[in-house]
Amino acid sequence: MESKRPIKVLIAKPGLDGHDRGAKVVALGLRDEGMEVIYSGLRQTPEKIVQAAVQEDVDVVGLSCLSGAHKYLFSEVVCQLKEHGKGDTLVICGGIIPEKDIPMLKETGISEVFGPGTSVKKIAQFIRENVKESSLAGD
Amino acid sequence: MSDLEKIKEKKKLWEEKVLKPALERFKLEKSPNKFYTPLDVEGFDFLKNVGFPGAYPFTAGTYPLLPYTVVATKGSLPSAKGLVRAAGYSGYGTPEDTRDYYKEYQKRGLRGGPNLAFDLPTQCGFDSDNPMVRGEVGKVGVAVDTFKDFEIIYEAYQGELDLDKIASNFTINAPANIIIAFYAALAEKRGISLSKLRATPQNDILKEYIARGTYIFPPRPAMRMFRDSVVFLTKYMPKVNVTSIGGYHIREAGATREQDLAFSMAIGMEYLKCGVDAGLDIDDFAPKFTFNAFGGSMELFKEVAFQRAARRMWAKILKEKFGAKNFRSMLIRQPLAAHVGCSSTTVQRPLNNLTRAVVGAIAGALSGGPPNVYPPYDEPLGLGWSLEARQLAEDASRILQFEAKLTEVIDPLAGSYYVESLTDEIENAAWKELEKIDAMGGVISAIENGYLQREIARSAHERQQKIEKGEILIVGVNCFTGESELEVTVNRMVPHPYDETKREEAEERQIKKLAEIKRSRDSRLVNQLLSELKEKAKNESENLIPHFIECAKAYVTLQEMCDVLREVFGEYEPVGI
Repeated sequence: MESKRPIKVLIAKPGLDGHDRGAKVVALGLRDEGMEVIYSGLRQTPEKIVQAAVQEDVDVVGLSCLSGAHKYLFSEVVCQLKEHGKGDTLVICGGIIPEKDIPMLKETGISEVFGPGTSVKKIAQFIRENVKESSLAGD
Repeated sequence: MSDLEKIKEKKKLWEEKVLKPALERFKLEKSPNKFYTPLDVEGFDFLKNVGFPGAYPFTAGTYPLLPYTVVATKGSLPSAKGLVRAAGYSGYGTPEDTRDYYKEYQKRGLRGGPNLAFDLPTQCGFDSDNPMVRGEVGKVGVAVDTFKDFEIIYEAYQGELDLDKIASNFTINAPANIIIAFYAALAEKRGISLSKLRATPQNDILKEYIARGTYIFPPRPAMRMFRDSVVFLTKYMPKVNVTSIGGYHIREAGATREQDLAFSMAIGMEYLKCGVDAGLDIDDFAPKFTFNAFGGSMELFKEVAFQRAARRMWAKILKEKFGAKNFRSMLIRQPLAAHVGCSSTTVQRPLNNLTRAVVGAIAGALSGGPPNVYPPYDEPLGLGWSLEARQLAEDASRILQFEAKLTEVIDPLAGSYYVESLTDEIENAAWKELEKIDAMGGVISAIENGYLQREIARSAHERQQKIEKGEILIVGVNCFTGESELEVTVNRMVPHPYDETKREEAEERQIKKLAEIKRSRDSRLVNQLLSELKEKAKNESENLIPHFIECAKAYVTLQEMCDVLREVFGEYEPVGI
């Protein structure tokens, strides 16, 4: 177990939405939980996010959007991850996501939607339980 | 023995004889309660610290009367609608959709100008046909690509509601001068003198780098744009407010109360300095500064003290640092005062947000603002408030004003040992932070080196840690969540005047219209205007607004103008966390 490397997470803000408090708090919180976290900064296109995920070979991509553009942007990221052979990446998201959009997002391949009020501990626990074990084995 | 010494002695006695036995009885080391006495406001001087409402240092209030109570006293209750002025923030899908929305509301009795929300592509200087902005067109506000879009929106404002009879609000920052130019071009086209226009562009670019995030250019060229606006507006559009400085956004991004006050004041001072450096007399433009609703927590007394401290601090800055003589220069003018902020609302048991917003409205009333119940309770559920939530918010405001009579007395907490000491404490902490920013070379340097951004992220992170440890309690979120609690859900039954299905195809309609405009305009003229813009932008002393007006009339798009400026000014690169 000790040989495992830390879980690597990319927290990304797709689109033009500038509300980054949640993304930053989750990024800093997951760092406290011992994960290696990269924060994308604002205004990332799905292409740029996927490129960063591939380059950094992350285990998890966390997407945040509060502007209502999540349906298009989140599914684009998931699709492009698959196209780039990163289909096994755990993709989670948060922001202002209306309840009615959640089934559609999960169908596209988003593993979980964490709305306002979620504790970072809960997100960290979900990540630990769901990230692919094989990818973390030390070599 | 002086009075204070007597109190000190009595306090010691009380602590020993009364408090100590109580603590022992409950096996407590320290009292969970505080009690304030004159000892906490030593040296308190009413005239110096508080003064009269509408008089220096404005701690008690910005005006001698509360403007919205005047309206109600005159017997025209419905026009007390000013209470929810901010709730009119609107902009849906395409300009056609937004025009129709306003027309519909006018049928229902809406008077007054629009408070326009722009979509994110517009706010960030992109056109609707840019592939980068797919999925964002017409969301969170109306899409505006060209002057044509302004012409369409304002078809709803003619005749009795023409541009010289209404006031418009534009939530726009980085491309604010282009939007101002669209408004000016529209007035010119309608034969209305620019001097008659009333409006408030948000035009507060510096907070965009630390909260909200709709920046385009780096801070220094962005300040050149600000200079253009303060000079142009003061000269040609004197009834238009120069800026609406956003303390609210900074708090929502995670800043503490003290950081919020210090950062907002630092930003405000930078804008004032900009006007003075451009050769303007402080009293000619400072009265046209406004603020965008300081506030943002559930702690009622602290929010009241915050408002009082902010008013006093801004007045001191204007008088002592900038030598203002006109009292109008020293006022914090804002549409609403204390409120809880949207980040205090919860998606869990959302009707509780009404209770929360009422607490904020009480703080608003007690601190000289309207008892504005904001935001409506369904704020965290998704884009746009339901009409039911807006009705309840408006009614709650009315109940506080007319039934609870909360607005009869101005600054009713003045002289309270607790509130006066809190007011001093918040102000002193903000001055200290302001000194730190000064030592860094001012607010622009503190943005460039990332200090403000890191401080805000740190505060947001600390708050989250406290919530997770249970040091900060939020009902229904990290406490009182057991199985015996009832999940109260809400239904949105009344149809919203903006049909959601329209938003779904807004992007397509807007792109189609833009293509048509690009086909039919004089493209030779467009190219010529754009190359002239480039030359003028390179010349630091040139004011670009007159040229933006020319570009507007030729239907040069917002992005075409911004792209030229991007080439000359560069683009802002955010700092890491």
